[in-house]
Amino acid sequence: MDSNKKYWKGLEELNKTPEFVEKNKHEFAEPIPIEDVLSGGGLEGRTPRRDFLKALGFGVGAVTLAACQKVPVHKSLPYIIKPEEITPGVANYYTSTYEGHAILVKTREGRPIKIEGNPNDLLSKGGVSAQAQASVLDLYDVNRLKNPLKDGADASWSDIDDVILRALIDIKAAGKKIRIVSSTISSPSTLGVIADFITAYPTAKHIVYDAVSYTGILQANQNSFGKAVLPHYNFDKADVIVSFGADFLGTWISPTEFTSQYVQNRNNKSLQSKKMSRHIQFETGLSLTGSNADVRIPVKPSEEGIALVALYNAISGTTLPGTKKLTNDVADKAIAIVAKELLAAKGKALVVAGSNDVASQILVNAINAKLGSYGTTIDLDNPSHQYAGNDAGFVEFVNEMNRSEVDAVFFLNSNPAYDYYSSKDIASGLKKVKLKVSFANYSDETASLCDIIAPGHYYLESWGDDNAIEGYYTILQPAINPVYDSRQAEHSLLIWSDNAVKDYYKYVRNTWDKSLLAKGGLSGQKGWETLLQTGFVKEAPKAAGTYTFNYDLNAVAQKVLDHSNLLADGGKVELQIFQSVALRDGKRANNPWLQELPDPVSKVTWDNFAAVSPADMKKWGYVDGDVVKVEANGYSVNLPVLSQPGQAQGTISVAVGYGRTAVGPVGINVGQNAFPFHSLRNGTFQTAATAVLTATGDNSPLAQTQTHHSIEGRNSVIKEATFKEYLKDPWNGTGKTKEHKDYNENNLFWQEYDHPQYNWVMAIDLNACTGCGACVVACNAENNVPVVGKDEVRRRREMHWIRIDRYYSFNDNGDGGITKESEIARLNNLDNVKVVYQPMMCQHCEHAPCETVCPVLATVHSSEGLNHMAYNRCIGTRYCANNCPYKVRRFNWFNYWNDSRFDNYLNNEHTQLVLNPDVVTRFRGVMEKCSMCVQRIQAGKLKAKIEKRQLKDGDVKVACQQTCPANAIVFGNANDKNSEVSKALASERTYYVLEELNVQPGVGYQVKVRNINELEA
Amino acid sequence: MRGFSFIFKQFSRSVLLIAGFAFLGSPAFAQGDAVKGEAIFKAKCTSCHKIDQVVVGPALGPQLDEEKDDKFLVKWIQNNQALIAAKDPKATAILAKYNGAAMTSFTDLSDADATNIITYVRTTWKTMQNPPDGGKTPGQPAAESGPSSLVIFALIGVIVLAFIIILVLNKVIGTLERLVLNNKALIIEEPATEGVAVDRLAIAKKLLKNKKLVFFLLVIGALATGSWTWVTLWNTNVHTGYQPVQPIKFPHDLHAGAMKIDCQYCHSGAYKSKNASIPSLNVCMNCHKVIDRALNAKEASPEIAKIYDAIGFDSKTKSYDSTKSRPIQWVRIHNLPDLAYFNHSQHVKVAGLKCQTCHGQVQEMKEVYQASPLTMKWCIQCHKRTQVDGKNPYYANLEQVHKLLSEHKPVTAAIMGGIECGKCHY
Repeated sequence: MDSNKKYWKGLEELNKTPEFVEKNKHEFAEPIPIEDVLSGGGLEGRTPRRDFLKALGFGVGAVTLAACQKVPVHKSLPYIIKPEEITPGVANYYTSTYEGHAILVKTREGRPIKIEGNPNDLLSKGGVSAQAQASVLDLYDVNRLKNPLKDGADASWSDIDDVILRALIDIKAAGKKIRIVSSTISSPSTLGVIADFITAYPTAKHIVYDAVSYTGILQANQNSFGKAVLPHYNFDKADVIVSFGADFLGTWISPTEFTSQYVQNRNNKSLQSKKMSRHIQFETGLSLTGSNADVRIPVKPSEEGIALVALYNAISGTTLPGTKKLTNDVADKAIAIVAKELLAAKGKALVVAGSNDVASQILVNAINAKLGSYGTTIDLDNPSHQYAGNDAGFVEFVNEMNRSEVDAVFFLNSNPAYDYYSSKDIASGLKKVKLKVSFANYSDETASLCDIIAPGHYYLESWGDDNAIEGYYTILQPAINPVYDSRQAEHSLLIWSDNAVKDYYKYVRNTWDKSLLAKGGLSGQKGWETLLQTGFVKEAPKAAGTYTFNYDLNAVAQKVLDHSNLLADGGKVELQIFQSVALRDGKRANNPWLQELPDPVSKVTWDNFAAVSPADMKKWGYVDGDVVKVEANGYSVNLPVLSQPGQAQGTISVAVGYGRTAVGPVGINVGQNAFPFHSLRNGTFQTAATAVLTATGDNSPLAQTQTHHSIEGRNSVIKEATFKEYLKDPWNGTGKTKEHKDYNENNLFWQEYDHPQYNWVMAIDLNACTGCGACVVACNAENNVPVVGKDEVRRRREMHWIRIDRYYSFNDNGDGGITKESEIARLNNLDNVKVVYQPMMCQHCEHAPCETVCPVLATVHSSEGLNHMAYNRCIGTRYCANNCPYKVRRFNWFNYWNDSRFDNYLNNEHTQLVLNPDVVTRFRGVMEKCSMCVQRIQAGKLKAKIEKRQLKDGDVKVACQQTCPANAIVFGNANDKNSEVSKALASERTYYVLEELNVQPGVGYQVKVRNINELEA
Repeated sequence: MRGFSFIFKQFSRSVLLIAGFAFLGSPAFAQGDAVKGEAIFKAKCTSCHKIDQVVVGPALGPQLDEEKDDKFLVKWIQNNQALIAAKDPKATAILAKYNGAAMTSFTDLSDADATNIITYVRTTWKTMQNPPDGGKTPGQPAAESGPSSLVIFALIGVIVLAFIIILVLNKVIGTLERLVLNNKALIIEEPATEGVAVDRLAIAKKLLKNKKLVFFLLVIGALATGSWTWVTLWNTNVHTGYQPVQPIKFPHDLHAGAMKIDCQYCHSGAYKSKNASIPSLNVCMNCHKVIDRALNAKEASPEIAKIYDAIGFDSKTKSYDSTKSRPIQWVRIHNLPDLAYFNHSQHVKVAGLKCQTCHGQVQEMKEVYQASPLTMKWCIQCHKRTQVDGKNPYYANLEQVHKLLSEHKPVTAAIMGGIECGKCHY
């Protein structure tokens, strides 16, 4: 049963805008100026002939000169004394920690070059986020501070120690306040250092402040259960998940971990056991999580509270005072059905909300308590330590500063001058503080307001530990000597508090020797060494207790509804502030890999924007890229608008993390800062506001990657089925029955290849892929994929070897969906779209169309089923890219790694140290594409040969597969019938993209399955 | 350790036996046997001592000049610790002189052995100071034995002068002869040179008119130029024979050839990594901490001194100073382009190739040069003829290999995919 459902990548494609149609007609995005050459003065007249001869003469001369070149002298410098553990050319791996996740750091000749997941990581089982993958590039950022600064001038550590120690003694004597401001610290050793500092200076206090705050949840749990903790959520134990604006797969609390949990009930294994969780999302802007939900209902921020009250009412059967009916019909209906489903899944249900409002979160607690979630899907006894920020505490600190009560302040991994909603209060307050110290790596917004910057080590240069989840302790060990003259912040604090232990390494050792090693049953030097090898210890988790909710909800409901009323004020536009999946809170804004990672939903790179629903675009008369002035909470910025299907009407969404004013050249002035749109209400920062939009008349085109390639209306790219259909007929949606349709039966053109040894193939489960983009960054790091910058992305010249295609489709409302293109025109409900993500890379076709058109045989087939690309043979005709049905070939328009026009990437020897030495950098004018990490395949085979054993399944893991927290990508040898990939491809759901072209791709996809039932009927 | 001491005892026992016989045959107690002493000296003493030079311990020649009391010396050699413990004044003085550095005790050496050693040291030191060929100091002989540059210049000058004289004399003889002939009026007029020239040109012109010949010559010329261009183009950037000047004149013929040191002792990466790797200086120092000169050379080698310079080693105090160390900047000889991936372990460990297959007879090279062209053609030719090790269990499950082996067909690297682009270019 072939589906005729229409998919589209962007509104331009859906609406067939003249521009899009025009661009699509051409083979290349930018037409080749062949007509210009041929017409007019072109080849006629005498000048071209003379020029030709001149060029010929010059060319011959140049080639002759080049050929005369003597052997280039390359110096080869061996170690003076080679460290025992290093063999040049062989990678070493060290365990470490990234944001509480156990990771492995791959180093070559002492340089960290890649972050890989620790397969035993409790949180994500070896999955690594895009941020962690990108973090290795920041180590080599030349814009990091190279030494301590005092009043903006270079200083030495001893000078700084002198000044600070003297000042601290004076302040202590005067009894004035000392404040250490940090983002959440979950490291036991760092917390110990700070506690010791406070003991040495009793007027000191540790202020925990998170740019993106979870105070609402902490406070709500304090109020509901007397425990101010961030619970540990178990999405894997939930059969029904309902989220109110919590982007738990993209940005919320611990997204990598949650992705790994979430897909366990949705992946192939789960489907084959006839089980699939159900996920319903109520949200304003289309988030990564919302786009993965089975059902998504767009609601305005003002409706979220009302919906929560309604859900509570429906579940508890009571009616809270002040209850209002939702004006949004769909949402109203949905709430009733959702309540029924949740009750049916009692004990296996989970409701989460992204709001930072205490009252809303108390209501969520009440709902979860009624559903029996505590002790099953929510664990309060093994809480998460990932966020502990206290909004009110920080506001109080700002007030203290402004009242001149604070004499010393230390900023540790915290940048409130950028991410606090009222940064002018920070600036004015800091003027009244005598001693201002920042431990920042960059001279960032806050650090540049400080007298002293004592740059700390980067995490890859540091000792330390982490404790993301109760009972799970990970170790942070340095993978490289400090690159610059920095000093670990903890080390500085130990010196400044005149601690008995001045060396932070010793301090960490002590912490572990005293208590933490024992938790993992380890002890002594041997235990420490074991820890450094395994990377973590974990205690047996405490039994998750059930909790009875006991709090007066009447006042809570009132507060929630008041807030809703405030937001619904006079029908103004409602503004939702969110974190983008790539940049999150903006700490890594100077990372070009993350800046160029397209946002999973909007596919926008290098910018933030105001997402507007297509209906509103029409109503307000905007087109994409129109710059509007967004005004809210007394702050305004000019942002380009983007028509975003799925955006709730009457709302706009703006991402934080952009608009940095003091960071390296990559992140500076990219987008606009949305943090000041926050407001403080009931003691927490609120992420919604009412806004006024005014057009400025400018247009600033966004660098979107979504419509760079057209699928030309083919409907065999994406295939999906509902869970019900799948249960009835597992082959549903693949366009085939048990009998595989053989498109190769009348093959006349194609040469058939043998694969006598290996046949490398890949299986991608569309139902597991959440579209997070970690694979894209992992591929960048592994394969030296260049960054091209905003302008080049606009010209459709992005270089990513793997991209995540995002396809929209309309909700089919039970009528089989839209089947004819003409029907699209009369549809107006673009609020309600479905999204499918599809990782797309070179498909390594058996009948590769690229191979047949290459005039120089630069791309040829291998006996192992790979489509090889010999860069040094390529002459850049781009025929292959033209003939590729999947549009996965990338052309090097420039020497991106050595061209001053691409300043934001590798254009200095220092940053080039991040390159993977096993993969060559490509020269201008050649084509490149996914190689299926052939360097890893070769290395895997070599390792087996050296160890004199057969190659085992799983010996070779490609970079995208390795990093995927959802395990959506499986790679392996199809000749081995017992390999994971053979099993995955044997799944009934497997189909091949554009199978009917008989190009015989090597990458099989598994049909997307949605758990849709009566809710939409 | 036990094994070592066992061997040590065995050895020393045989030495004792020999020494015992020697003692029987020797006329006087104090007069040891230098030959036997040499054997013992080389076995036991050379790791710390040299005769003319300070190594770990003092230079023994001058030392024994100072100390004539052989009985004390014998005791010292046998058990210096006991002497020190007994507070022997001489022993404590020596200990103080050498900063308390203790010497190993050799209690298993008999008095005769020790005497033999002393005799050997004394006689050798004497010959060192007074070389048999007369009072020459050790540093000069090489320079003096060869002809000096002045002599060479003088010789050349004499030869040139002789030539000039011969030429002049010839001229004179010619003139004189002509005079004589003139006088006799017997001179035969030389034929007119113009006539001959016309004749010659005529031949050339005649030949030029021969179209077949011209065509033939042109074809030859074109072929010659073409083949020259062809060969030149093919050899562009092929640097066979490339032998750059290295910062240290490292003689592979000595190390790998004469001394038979295994290649992988220094190039340890070849077995396990893509890089064979140039040894780090600490590897050099494993031997060169003690060996600072060629065998039997009088002076320390300036080339070895470069190692000391680079690692910051003071050969006098035998101490390292890491602040003075700096890497040696070797010039890379085998420049494989970046676009080609080459892995040493694949070839050395897996394929079991000898280093010489690609690098030539390194053990005979005074300084290393590039022996192979390192072109892709060269790689592929080898891949086409080299068979893989079918016994490696890696191939156990690869049916293709079984099939070929059962048919007694060669399983070459090329058949295994070794000439596909993506096997080396990525």
